[in-house]
Amino acid sequence: MFETFEHTADLGLRVRAADRTQLFAEAARALFSVMVANPESIARTVQRTYRIPGQDDEYLLLDWLNELLYTFETERLLLGEFAIAWDQEGLNSTCWGESFDRTRHELLHEVKAITYHRLLVRQRHDGWLAEWVVDI
Amino acid sequence: MVKQRSAGPLEQVGPFCWRVPPDFKPGMRVEGRIYADDRLIEDILGDPALEQVAHVAFLPGIQGASLAMPDIHAGYGFPIGGVCATDPDEGGVISPGGVGYDINCGVRLMRTNLCYRDIKRQLEPLIDRLFREIPAGTGRSGKYHYSSRQLRRLMQQGVPFLQEQGLATEGDVHHTEAGGCLEGADPDQVSPRAWERGADQCGTLGSGNHFLEIQVVDVVFDAAAARAMGLEKDSVCVMIHSGSRGLGYQVCDDALKRLRGVPARYGIELPDRQLACAPIDSPEGQAYQGAMAAAANFAWCNRQLLMWQAREAFAAVLGSDWQRLQMNLIYDVAHNIAKFERHEIGGSMRRVCVHRKGATRAFPADHPETPAAYRQIGQPVIIPGDMGRFSWVLVGRPGSMQQTFGSCCHGAGRRLSRTAAVKQTKGRRIDQELARQGILARARSRRGLAEECSEAYKDVNRVVDVVHGADLAAKVARLRPLAVIKG
Repeated sequence: MFETFEHTADLGLRVRAADRTQLFAEAARALFSVMVANPESIARTVQRTYRIPGQDDEYLLLDWLNELLYTFETERLLLGEFAIAWDQEGLNSTCWGESFDRTRHELLHEVKAITYHRLLVRQRHDGWLAEWVVDI
Repeated sequence: MVKQRSAGPLEQVGPFCWRVPPDFKPGMRVEGRIYADDRLIEDILGDPALEQVAHVAFLPGIQGASLAMPDIHAGYGFPIGGVCATDPDEGGVISPGGVGYDINCGVRLMRTNLCYRDIKRQLEPLIDRLFREIPAGTGRSGKYHYSSRQLRRLMQQGVPFLQEQGLATEGDVHHTEAGGCLEGADPDQVSPRAWERGADQCGTLGSGNHFLEIQVVDVVFDAAAARAMGLEKDSVCVMIHSGSRGLGYQVCDDALKRLRGVPARYGIELPDRQLACAPIDSPEGQAYQGAMAAAANFAWCNRQLLMWQAREAFAAVLGSDWQRLQMNLIYDVAHNIAKFERHEIGGSMRRVCVHRKGATRAFPADHPETPAAYRQIGQPVIIPGDMGRFSWVLVGRPGSMQQTFGSCCHGAGRRLSRTAAVKQTKGRRIDQELARQGILARARSRRGLAEECSEAYKDVNRVVDVVHGADLAAKVARLRPLAVIKG
């Protein structure tokens, strides 16, 4: 589940989850929901792994989402399922998806980048929260 | 005598100018100045853009004021519609956030010798052909493919490289800001990722607010200036709005990553991470300048190739060639860029780095950088409005040199967020509404069209009245849309 928040020129995204692992997976799903109209139609036929070094949760989120964006732009690969693990070096993720197929997927927005503006990852008393603005 | 008014923290200091005092936020080095009228200022007061004007005033080496044009709205870090000049001799910085992800996003206008009545019946085949031929939409690749060696030269040389390839004329080069080539481009500072993202995207429109529009001259305000540009009432033009595509986005992203921790290292405190910056003369600042200039040159080539494809489409549909149709470039202006220019500050001429984030250069008549054809009238300033109303052609005025480092607005400016625009147009077919107004719209996504509906934008006529009234730029002609393609 994700929600959008108002931003005049671009699009603000907010996700909440019980823990950090779910938060990052939800964030990736939110990103692809902005990019395609029917993200539930993305089949799990191709696998990709990502290793994002770092200790700062906000930069980890930004770097990881930017990696997914780069994969889409260079390989036309839509991703729909995300497994995340952590180690001392940072974030490791395995993602599943399929190549964009114009007969089944409708593209909604070209996301130019994940911006640093209002970028936030927080652990709160009731779970985890992330917010960020994408440049459209 | 101007009656001084106060609106929140703002103080009216001229009929079209409002001041944000430097004590509005601790850390501001200069005041803010916003160009607006009584109505536009109300929109600005309710938008985070006001705070962003104040944040830009934190940047080291900023000169004069943190400036905002009447189309200002919230961006990320910098406001969109923001202008700031920094002086390298006073520790001035360069900020990738002050340029944006879409480096050298800009707009160009091409004239034709066609009148509306000549093409009225062929408008539909024309727009259908343009929509078919011109790659638009998310991540689309184009028909122009460059080897690494060629891409390197394209980034170094800009539009003159395309002239060598037979894809641009001398007139195209002269009528592009900076001759279509920003000096100091260093492709070695452009990451392999950016190369990969850009390799096949030169000559593609993209999505969001990018467009190609066939327009007709609706009203002429300055006949002599219009004549110098080859415009008269009822003449048909083509306007193109696009930028540096994936290559530019990646250059900005790489720069922001490289700058993590850098401002603190130079003792710079920032209120927003997206304002990340480095001293102009620092290794980090130099590296960004080289990469940004390469992306800017890529963007000029992108708009040149989009225009070239439009010329080919017109020629094919109208059974002529584009030279006979006199499809000549009037001018191409950047509106997301940082450039070194000479400006008079405190009585002396200084070389400053002018950041324009959603703002257009508006040099007056007799300025050495105004092309020869426009030396007597001023540099053409192209202002796209929205797809249901109007766009404008202006010329730069001396007031821009005195007040805004030779800058003016870049468009109408958004007033509704994308989600609000979609909500407001729910259940409506924007393409059919436009068709009833006589405007043909072709878009890859119906939602994209809703996000870009007229109501989402401020009234461009009002925005233009402000820059005209403030003597930043003067009205030449108003254009009306006939047909539009969106990504």
